[in-house]
Amino acid sequence: MTDQQIQFDEHARATFAGLADALIPEGDGMPSASQAGVAAEWLDSVLAARPELGPPLLALVRRLDGEDPKTAIADLGTADPAGFGLLAEIVPNAYFMNRGVRERVGYPGQVGLDVDLTWPPDWLDLLGPVIERGPIYRDPDRVAVTAETHS
Amino acid sequence: MPDDRGNAQQPRPQHADVLIIGAGASGSVAAKRLGEEGVRVVCLEQGGWPDYEKARADKPDYELLAGRDWDWNPITRKWPGDYPIDESESDITPLMFNGVGGGSVMYAAHWQRSMPSDFRVKTLDGVGDDWPLTYHDLKPFYERVEIDMGISGLDGDTAFPPGPGWPLPPSPLGVAGKLVAAAHNRLGWHWWPGPNAIATRETKHLKACARRGTCLWGCNEKAKGSFDLTHWPDALAAGVELRTRSRVRRLLVGDDGTITGAEFVDSEGNELVQTADVTLLCANGIGTPRLLLASATDRYPNGLANSSGLVGKRLMMHPFSTVLGVFEEDLRSWEGPWGQSIHSLEFYETDTSRGFVRGAKWGLQPSGGPVSMTKAYPFGDNPIWGEGFHAGIRKRLGHTAMWGIIAEDLPDESNRVELHPELRDAHGVPAAKVIYKADENSERLVAYHQARAAESLEAAGAYEVIIAPFIRQTGWHTLGTAVMGDDPRMAVVDGFGRAYDHPNLFILDGSIFPTSTGMNPTATIAAMALRNTEHLIATRRNQEVAR
Repeated sequence: MTDQQIQFDEHARATFAGLADALIPEGDGMPSASQAGVAAEWLDSVLAARPELGPPLLALVRRLDGEDPKTAIADLGTADPAGFGLLAEIVPNAYFMNRGVRERVGYPGQVGLDVDLTWPPDWLDLLGPVIERGPIYRDPDRVAVTAETHS
Repeated sequence: MPDDRGNAQQPRPQHADVLIIGAGASGSVAAKRLGEEGVRVVCLEQGGWPDYEKARADKPDYELLAGRDWDWNPITRKWPGDYPIDESESDITPLMFNGVGGGSVMYAAHWQRSMPSDFRVKTLDGVGDDWPLTYHDLKPFYERVEIDMGISGLDGDTAFPPGPGWPLPPSPLGVAGKLVAAAHNRLGWHWWPGPNAIATRETKHLKACARRGTCLWGCNEKAKGSFDLTHWPDALAAGVELRTRSRVRRLLVGDDGTITGAEFVDSEGNELVQTADVTLLCANGIGTPRLLLASATDRYPNGLANSSGLVGKRLMMHPFSTVLGVFEEDLRSWEGPWGQSIHSLEFYETDTSRGFVRGAKWGLQPSGGPVSMTKAYPFGDNPIWGEGFHAGIRKRLGHTAMWGIIAEDLPDESNRVELHPELRDAHGVPAAKVIYKADENSERLVAYHQARAAESLEAAGAYEVIIAPFIRQTGWHTLGTAVMGDDPRMAVVDGFGRAYDHPNLFILDGSIFPTSTGMNPTATIAAMALRNTEHLIATRRNQEVAR
C-alpha cells in the first residue's frame, strides 16, 4: 500500500461490498464479490496499482452510503454513468485477481504458450478451396474500365 | 507513460544532413536507412521510449493496468509527448502513441499490404484519386521492410499477386480460426492465415511470440514488430542521433523557399533550433498538417507546403466495426496473438450492386480475459451485471471470436485537421482540431460488411452474434492530410513525398495517402517511407538543400 493510497475504513468497505455484490452476487457455484475478497485484500490490490481510483471511489461510496445497493446501482447506470463506470472498472478487476475465482471460470491468465510451428499444420488442407478458386484481386493493368465498374 | 531513456545530457544541436521529425513508422524506416548510408541524421521525437516495464501480461493486474499504461487516446492520457486535440466535431477520436515507435507500439500488428486496385481507385471505381505509383512499384519495398519487421504469414494468398512469401511462418489459426475458415469454404468466401508483425520465431531484434494475447497493451515478450524494436537499434548503431522529448514548434523556411530546419523545445524547456540540409516530416496524419499549418509565415500565411490549399484536408480515419460470435466450442479466446488468426478480403473489391464503392478487410481476433467480458464494448447493450453475471462470464469467456473490420473511407475535403483557434499546447503551439464525418458511402459499406461478418460467424457455428456498438475511440489510422499526386495544384507532395513548395521538405507518413485503402496502413506507410528514402539517397547529388 502506498503512502498516497486512500484509506477505506470498515464502514466504507461494507458499503462498497454491498455495491460490489449487487454487481457480482453469489450464484452458479461462484462466490459473490465480497465473498471473494473484493472489498478486502483485492480492493487494496486494485488501489495499490491504481491509486488514482481511490478518491473518486471513496466519494462515491460515501454518497451511496445507506442506500439499497441494487437500487443505487440501477440508478447510477442512468444518473451517473461515470460513477457506474468506476465500479464496473474496480469490482471485476478485484474479483478476477482472486486466483480461486480465475480457476473456477477456467481462466489461467495471459500465460505464455509456445507457438506450434509443426509443419504441415492441421489446417493446411482447409486452404484447398481457396486456392482452387484462384486470385480474387483486380489487376488494374488487365481490368477493362467500363461504365459498370463506376458508381 | 514512456520513459526518458536516452534523454539526458543531450548536446547542443549540430547541423545535420537530414532532420527527421517523428520516430514512428516512417521516421524509423528513414532513420535506419539513411544511417546505414552514412548520412548524418538527427531525429526529433516529442515523446519518449515505450516503457516495457509496464507491460504486465504475466501479472494478475494486467487487465486493470492495461487501459491506463497503454492508453491509445492522447486526449485522455495527456502524457508529456502528447498535444491537445479537439475532436468535438469528429465522429472518430484519433488514437496514437507519441513516442519512439509511434502507433506501432500499440497496434494489433495486422500487416496488410494494399491491393493493386488500391493504387488505381479513380481509374477502376471513379472515386477518389489514383496514386502516383503502382503496387508493383511498391512491392520490392514491402518485401524489404517485411524482413526488418519479422512478418509472419503464409505465402500464396489469393488476394494478392504472388511473391516470395513472408519471412516467418504463420501463427496458429486456433479453434476459432479453423471454424471460421471452414465456414468460409462452405460459403465460397476468401480467407487466408493473417499476416502479422508478430515474430513466430526469434529473429534479429524480436523474441518469439508467447501468445499472451496482449499485443495492443504492451508486448512484454518483445515479440511484436514495433519500430522501436525493429529499426531503432540499427539506426542508433549507425550513428543516428535521436532526441526524445523534443517537441518541434515549427519548421523554419528560408528566403529561397527551402526548409532550413526546425525550432524545438527539449525536455528541459530549452528553446533550440536544429538545422539540416533536408527535412523529413513523419508526424502522422494529425501531427504533420498541424506542424505545417503552425509554421505559417508572412510569405506563407496559409502554412508551409500549402499552395494547393490541401494541407489538413481529406482526412481519412477508417470507420471501424467489430462483429462478435459467441460459440459453444471452447475457443480459449484469451490466447494470442492479437494479431489476426485469419483475414478475409472477400468483400474488399468494389461491387457496385452492393450500393457503395470500395470495401473492407476483416481480421479475426481473440477477445481477451474475464474483465474484458464485462465491457460495454464490444458487447453492447447486453448487461452482464447482477444475477446473470456468472452465466454471462461463462458464456463469453473463452467462447468469443471477433471480426475487426477496417472500412475504406473516401477522401473529402470537408474532413480535415485545422489549428484550434484558442487551445494551445504547453509550448504555445495551437492544438489540432479534427473535423470528420463519415459519409453515406461509408455508412452503407459498414452496414453491409457488418451483415456479412455476422453471416460468417453464424456459418461458423456461433449461436449468438453481436454487432458491437459504434464507438468514437477507433481512429488508429489518420491518413490523407498532405496528399501526394502528380499535379501540384491538387497535391501537397509528389510521388516520392517531396513537397511541391519546398524542394528539400519530404513528408513520409500516412498523410500522403491519396485514398485510405481498406487495409491497416502500417505496411504501406513503411514501404513507401523506404521507397521514398531510397529515392532521396539515389538522387542526393541533385537534391536542393537549405542555404
